[in-house]
Amino acid sequence: MAKAEPTIRVRRFDPTALVWTMSAILLLALIVGPMYFLVRESFLLPSEQGGSWSLGNYIKAYTNPLYREPIVWTMVISVSTSLLSLVIGSIMAWAVSRTDMPFPGVVRIGVLASFVTPPFLGASAWVLLAGPREGWLNHVYRWIVGAEAESYLFNIFSIGGVIFAMVLYIFPLAFIVVNAGLNTISSEIEDAANISGAGTIATMTTVVFPLVMPALFAGLILAFLEAMILFGTPAMLAIPARKHVMTTQIRAFMQSEDYLVGLAAAYALPMLAVALLFLWFRRRALGRRGFATIGGKGGQRRLQKLGAYRWLLCFCCAVPLICSIVLPYFALIASSVMKRQGYGLSWSNLTLENYWFVFNTHSVWPAIWNTLVLAAMSATVGTVLAALIAYISQRRLVRGSQYLAFLATAPLAIPGIVLAVGLFAAYTHKPVVLYGTLWILFLAYLTKFLPIAFQTSNAALMSIHPELEESSRILGANRLTVFKDITVPLFKAGLIASWVLIFMPSLRELSSSVLLWTTNTKVVSVVILDFYQEGRLDFVSVLGVLLMAITLVVVMVSYRVVGRDFMKA
Amino acid sequence: MRKLDRLWLALLLALLFGSYPAAAQDVMQLAKKEGKVVWYSSASLSLSQKLCESFNAKKLGVECVLHRDGSGELFTRLQQEAKAGIHNADVLHTSSIGHFVSLRKAKGLTPYRPKGIEKFDQNFIEKNGQWAVVRASVYGPAFNTTKVKESEAPKSWRDFLDPKWRDRKLVNAHPSYSAFVSVGMSALVKLFGWEFFDKLAAQKPIIVQSALDTVVYVVRGEAWMSVGGTAYTSAVAIQKGEPIKHAFPKEGVPLIVSPQAILAKAPHPNAAKVFVDWLFSKEAQQVMVEDGTYVGHPEVEYPKWQTPLKDIKLLVIPEEEAEEMRKPVLDNFRAKFGV
Repeated sequence: MAKAEPTIRVRRFDPTALVWTMSAILLLALIVGPMYFLVRESFLLPSEQGGSWSLGNYIKAYTNPLYREPIVWTMVISVSTSLLSLVIGSIMAWAVSRTDMPFPGVVRIGVLASFVTPPFLGASAWVLLAGPREGWLNHVYRWIVGAEAESYLFNIFSIGGVIFAMVLYIFPLAFIVVNAGLNTISSEIEDAANISGAGTIATMTTVVFPLVMPALFAGLILAFLEAMILFGTPAMLAIPARKHVMTTQIRAFMQSEDYLVGLAAAYALPMLAVALLFLWFRRRALGRRGFATIGGKGGQRRLQKLGAYRWLLCFCCAVPLICSIVLPYFALIASSVMKRQGYGLSWSNLTLENYWFVFNTHSVWPAIWNTLVLAAMSATVGTVLAALIAYISQRRLVRGSQYLAFLATAPLAIPGIVLAVGLFAAYTHKPVVLYGTLWILFLAYLTKFLPIAFQTSNAALMSIHPELEESSRILGANRLTVFKDITVPLFKAGLIASWVLIFMPSLRELSSSVLLWTTNTKVVSVVILDFYQEGRLDFVSVLGVLLMAITLVVVMVSYRVVGRDFMKA
Repeated sequence: MRKLDRLWLALLLALLFGSYPAAAQDVMQLAKKEGKVVWYSSASLSLSQKLCESFNAKKLGVECVLHRDGSGELFTRLQQEAKAGIHNADVLHTSSIGHFVSLRKAKGLTPYRPKGIEKFDQNFIEKNGQWAVVRASVYGPAFNTTKVKESEAPKSWRDFLDPKWRDRKLVNAHPSYSAFVSVGMSALVKLFGWEFFDKLAAQKPIIVQSALDTVVYVVRGEAWMSVGGTAYTSAVAIQKGEPIKHAFPKEGVPLIVSPQAILAKAPHPNAAKVFVDWLFSKEAQQVMVEDGTYVGHPEVEYPKWQTPLKDIKLLVIPEEEAEEMRKPVLDNFRAKFGV
């Protein structure tokens, strides 16, 4: 009731209503624009075939067995990856937040490190580690067992390998969600169960589990979506095994000489539908709270005493981190200083030449510059836009503002490569040609990462009571001034957090960039993929190390500024 | 009246001398004004970059901007950009002769005879000067010497179909990315028919994107042999002491020529000419030779480790055939290898 009132006031007095309306329209254009063109293209035949309206693209996309197989693999990979990520993520979240397992801080930092590692970088490191013949781990295995040269323990070039390499960098998502969910349950509830006679196991299964159920479900869905839309990992690991997934198949359509944008669009739209469906499920499971907003720690929490098992649990938490952080970074750094890749690590094989070459490569410096500019731009504009939209939707400043919140989270359901196809279709012809400029990449990044910023801002805004604003409104300030002088200072930490949360993934965005880059607008992730495709794992390693150095600096600075809460969401 | 006279005179002069006398001087002037040349090149990154850098080191007032990608990717990009009315590239240099034929048909090229080209073997030049071949190499198989004994290495292309090479022992690049593969495989299909594809797919080879990568896979030992690769980089790897050797089959190896052409809609047409002239200079051609390729310049010195081209049995694909075969090879590859 109280919230309805400001709406009336705005309409009567506030000239700043223009700002709110503009941001709403901007958001609408950002998302609806490319999606409209995506749908439109999917019903258009290529101009060589007449360019008329038809269902031809859909028929072609879903009747050719060649294109059906990638759908099956995508499902297999997404389901397995999300389940495994959930199991690993929740065990670790539970261990860290509810037990007396040693080194919880180290585990947290480890999870954070996996979270910021680009999956494609991890995948290329795992090529070095677990290539069936020359993977270092397979060498170690053969040496231990004394097995013959062709036997192997791991084959990263397989669907299993893809799932493995995905889980390593997707489980942190599940961890974050489940951790937040666990934090809402106070130990008093467990105590009550204990007093009523339930043991540890019974308490876990009958009390704690049902309570974190929504969080588990949300974690599962996020992991599923992430696995479904990942491009780099399958491009690096599944194609050598002669298998496409949907994202790599979409790229293959776009690379075809026949200019199959329509086919790519028809093929991509069901991904969008699945993603939307899942997000809707998640919404129902979590009520109106997004994953960043579970927060609100209630009551006291006590840590479970595990006795000797705590070391076992610590070991269980260490394994995924060793696989996602320790081994890959070792492999990358080692490979970046090797003279000849056919020989192992030895003093005579050490060199810094690779660094020299990479830093002297024409496309590298502009790519680094482009990446940083894009990341900073998307982070800044994204933060402002997200904050404004969160503000509008919470204070209900324009009509239909409740839909804005949905619209701002909707890009979560748009796979990067699908978004890229949409942007490509929308901005490669008149009236607005953005292809060939950084702007098209900027739009992709902005759209893709807006939901994270929105959820962070939204959560931060929720904790600020409108009273504070209302009092200054009574004193005569207009709403924009209030927003600037009262609201923003109060949720500065939330703003910085959302800036960082856009900046970091922008540094490594690949799935949209791979379709949208041009000579002058290359970004680091694309250069890395290029090097990979040319077989230069040594150069991949050099750039990977550099990319992580930049990320590390950003993480450390933001730790300083915001405190470590920003990653815990 | 006087005005009209002058106009006639000007027209007459223009007719008489065309743009020729202006060319030599003005091209350089105009090139400087354009400032840069955008080079779409499919040569290995290290070679492309070396060429670009040596050119820039000459400080001609024109900067070479390199866009390196696979032959197939470059062509697709060109097409997509053209469709959107965007013209970024000046000079195209790939290993896909078929693409050049397509571009010639579509009037997408500006004829230009690079300076000094008359000294070259005439096979290196398209008869109307639409393109000229910068470098050539062969689509040549290679094996890892620690995995395969020289005596067991294939002697014929058919030997690659032996079941003992099944399951990831072979590596093959993708024809949609690499023209070494699309042209090379056209030659193999011509020799052995499409069933060669079926049988090769049944060997379950590792599929990579670039033919350059096949060499790396063999060097690292992740694959035992490449069915075909960029012989110019494997030659360099052999010379570097990596555990890799060539196994050129007795039927011959496909010759892969890599032309360059100035695009009809090049945004920097004069800078393009300056750059192309340089690509055919002795200095640039020498750089290419040292990276293991064969060139048309009569004065270059080949490194000692290089096998002379005349000692290699070649399979030569006529350009028209390369164009006709390109799509069927791609479609069949996709259908049979699954990616």
